[in-house]
Amino acid sequence: MKKLLSLIKACMTENMSIFKVKTKNQSETSKKILPIVLFGLVFFSMWSYANILMESLVELHVEYILLTLFVGVTSLLTLVEGIYKSGNLLFNCKDDDLLLSLPIKKSTVLFVRMFKFYVFELLYNSLFLVPAIVVYATKVSVGISFYIVSIIAIVLLPIIPIVISCIIGFITTGISSKFKFKNIVQIVITMGIILVVFFASYNINGLIDSLAQNADSINEVITKIYYPAGAYIKLVTEFNIQDLLIFIGIHILISVVTIFILSKVYFRINSRTKAVSSRKNSNKEYKIRTNKPLNSLIKKELGRFISSPVFVTNAAFSLVLFIIACVLICVKLDSVPEILASRGMEVTVEQIQNYIPIVLFGLISFASFTSSITSSMISLEGRSFNILKSLPVKPSKIILSKIYASVAIMVPFILIGDIIFFVRFNFNIFEIIGIIIVSFILPLISETIGILVNLKYPKMDAENDSEVVKQSMSSMIAVFIGMGLTGVAIILIVMCAMFGLANYLTILIGTVVFIIIYLLLLLYLNKSSVKDFNKINV
Amino acid sequence: MIEIKNVTKSYGGKKGIENITFNVNDGEIFAFIGHNGAGKTTLIKSIVGIHGFDSGEILINGKSIKDKPEECKKEMAFVPDNPELYENMKAIDFINFICDMYEIDQKTREENIKKYAKMFEIENSLNDPINSFSHGMKQKIALISALAHNPKVLIMDEPFVGLDPKAVYDIKEIMAEMTKEGKIIFFSTHILDVAEKLCSRVAIIKKGELVKVGSMEEIKGDKSLEKVFLELEN
Repeated sequence: MKKLLSLIKACMTENMSIFKVKTKNQSETSKKILPIVLFGLVFFSMWSYANILMESLVELHVEYILLTLFVGVTSLLTLVEGIYKSGNLLFNCKDDDLLLSLPIKKSTVLFVRMFKFYVFELLYNSLFLVPAIVVYATKVSVGISFYIVSIIAIVLLPIIPIVISCIIGFITTGISSKFKFKNIVQIVITMGIILVVFFASYNINGLIDSLAQNADSINEVITKIYYPAGAYIKLVTEFNIQDLLIFIGIHILISVVTIFILSKVYFRINSRTKAVSSRKNSNKEYKIRTNKPLNSLIKKELGRFISSPVFVTNAAFSLVLFIIACVLICVKLDSVPEILASRGMEVTVEQIQNYIPIVLFGLISFASFTSSITSSMISLEGRSFNILKSLPVKPSKIILSKIYASVAIMVPFILIGDIIFFVRFNFNIFEIIGIIIVSFILPLISETIGILVNLKYPKMDAENDSEVVKQSMSSMIAVFIGMGLTGVAIILIVMCAMFGLANYLTILIGTVVFIIIYLLLLLYLNKSSVKDFNKINV
Repeated sequence: MIEIKNVTKSYGGKKGIENITFNVNDGEIFAFIGHNGAGKTTLIKSIVGIHGFDSGEILINGKSIKDKPEECKKEMAFVPDNPELYENMKAIDFINFICDMYEIDQKTREENIKKYAKMFEIENSLNDPINSFSHGMKQKIALISALAHNPKVLIMDEPFVGLDPKAVYDIKEIMAEMTKEGKIIFFSTHILDVAEKLCSRVAIIKKGELVKVGSMEEIKGDKSLEKVFLELEN
């Protein structure tokens, strides 16, 4: 037990360093303000959203649906996030050699790695769950048991999604480790699983209908779909100690059994993932090629991107969704009014067709602002950052190469979506020009923000790529800013529609606004990025 | 020539190096020795422009590393103590990348890469990814990248760690060859025998301060360098 606690302490000190407050000077203190403000904004947004939902739920006397909804969505997010990163978090740790040489049980090492994963998800989930619980407690008269059950639920709810994602991580890593091109296989399998989970959750209506027909209460339906959510709601509405103990017991049992079973194969898979099959390249004639510095830097960034499955899947998710959405809108436009009607929005096919360019503008905003690649690119340099600093190349060129490489990854996806729309629907020349400009400007904005954030909040000592791509302060801030910018784009579109502006005018205004934002960002980039780059010491 | 003038660097209030002053002349092999944590790497990183310093000046062939970092870096090559290279790259791609940064023409890089790859007996591994290499092989790749652009100043942090005896011998030969051409070799080391045999001048650093600098004869007199070093440390 003492060994386990020491190990947890050592690992967590490293892992949770993003939350440390250790600065004394003013410029460093100001860096703390942005994350606090952003976390506060997310908390406030969730609280406001929960309040709006609660208004209508109170009228129907089904207040507990609020908790069900937040628990369900948070668990789904944890699951999807977990599928991205579990393989990397469990199997690509730099401290493998050290830990495996120590007299520690295999299951202890696995437990510590899963525990690190759990603690991060616990903190992240709390950001969404606590506002809902607060709103529920203010609108419904609750006793002390509600608070006890809710605290226990917050602690336990991340466990099952994490366990499922770890099992998936084991399977994907286990399968991919048998292939020569491990990374490509892992990217394909992971993306496939994530898309299946995503579309399954989107099409869950049918399942709910069939369960509802055979259930006596909504609670029963929820429990059948997802036990933890149902059990939590039952404990909130009809508390009893026996159910609470079962709730706790099931989560502990699942964790213990999973760790016990997975630890049996963990080290076999882990050592297989580290085997390098590249020796076959030996004796091949090597090629000496000459490139311009900027091209070579961009090539290096693209190579780094492709070499990391978690980096690729994280960036590709929004972009693949964007393409799927474009195809669905173009192919199944007739069924869109039906889908929207089931969500309470009455629109006709003709009305949608009238706003097609605006819809595309919205989709491009979503794809661009939700896939920040540069927000991890500085951190992923790790200790090799010193190579860059010792090169006879201006830091501004290095920074630009990262932005250009990221834009080069994103823009082709967006242009494919544009072409699909241009072929299927009628766009006038102004709309086409506007959309194409936007297709470059929005990724440039997103990636410029990403690099600025990463330069301010670098994490150069990560154990693996997942810690940078999914669990660093920089990536979280970039996600929150991206959500905010998507909101800005939607507000802009809605305002233009309210004024009855023509589509091309809306796109023109949007283009001008985002070009101005980009120019302001460029000014800030020129002012601060080199200074921040030079400040990073590895 | 490398001119280091009153260089001071601290880390968040903790002293790294303080008021370091000395020169390294053209054609010299200069060793920089000191205990672990004495400040050797801090000074080396300041010289090669990896991090700045609080006060003082460092000139590389008359140019300030603070004011003209790119021009200074173009004349230098740096081999770190622990070669953290780009693990996802093939060795040849990494060397090409570094040559691209120094804008080395095709002919020069072909000659140099072939020459040093053969010398370090690593020609057959240049197509392999760096993550399949041992520490010593990575060190060889770092050395080839550094030498491929014919630097006027070669700066190395513990260059002999992890290398096989043949490679150590080869580096010594390269050093001798470079100094004949009037180039500068500046390196830190714990291996005092090597420093004693190879270097024309030496500097000893203790707790961030320079305690002795001069020619090998001036520093050691009729004693061994090891004995002088241990006396100074005590």
